[in-house]
Amino acid sequence: MLKATKKRFDIKILVANSTVSETFELEKNIVKVHGVLVTSDKDDLLYYRGTQKIEINKEEFFPDNYESKLLMSGINVSPKQRYYDLGGVAPGNGRVQILYKDLDDGRTVFAPYRVSLYLDCEMEDEL
Amino acid sequence: MMKEGVIITKISIKQKGERKHFQIKLPMDTKFIIGVEYGGRLIDKPETVVVEPAPDDGGHTPTFFKRNQLIGELKLQSCEEANWFYSADVLANDVNLGLADFSKAGFPVNDFTHGNKRTEEIVKIDAESTIIQGWYLDALGKSVNADIKYEVNVYVWINVEE
Repeated sequence: MLKATKKRFDIKILVANSTVSETFELEKNIVKVHGVLVTSDKDDLLYYRGTQKIEINKEEFFPDNYESKLLMSGINVSPKQRYYDLGGVAPGNGRVQILYKDLDDGRTVFAPYRVSLYLDCEMEDEL
Repeated sequence: MMKEGVIITKISIKQKGERKHFQIKLPMDTKFIIGVEYGGRLIDKPETVVVEPAPDDGGHTPTFFKRNQLIGELKLQSCEEANWFYSADVLANDVNLGLADFSKAGFPVNDFTHGNKRTEEIVKIDAESTIIQGWYLDALGKSVNADIKYEVNVYVWINVEE
């Protein structure tokens, strides 16, 4: 039986104007990735300063310099609609890569922050 | 099978009233242009310039409607077709997100906490020509009479044949 599940992966941005690349692995029983969402513990910094590239199974879904604000949803959006719809992607080897870039913006002062990547997945109950 | 992709183009503005002509090169296997969206980043903020009005601090009534900051005008045209297929006012954050919020609950309303989900504006343009002509005119620098450095990112969503 298939059931919906949400996955969260975190990266830390410790230095201003830095690039952080991380690869995460999904469980083998995940059969589809339906959506993606990014959040942060300091969401103004993510909103104004962040850009990222996201790859799933070595396939690029969001290219380099794609702004994080375009993948964020505020609390005004109903919880079921917060994820950016990818349309049910097969995860293949299950590797999810994020290449996150922090860039100065005149409206913010840098402080170390966390970026969380959420994936809306569908998994098989039993392998 | 059709696959979606996005082409990102950066426009760098340095002077007030600056007008930029630019080209966006699409991959050869592009079939359609299906959407356009934009974003931006402020590089340099002169001391005297207020780029975005501060969130409502109670100085106005919650029903006082405020004007969004106009950043510039953006227009796109396909080389194969006459006339612009996309024309937009590039605006800063929505400053009226907290309109008619009487709660004053200590959770200030901002785009990054209360903003709606961003989606591209849908267009449907044949991509027989792989060049898009673009035009951008600064309004932010003109409105405050100062040279403000900022970047506007133009995202062109395309359908590519796999």
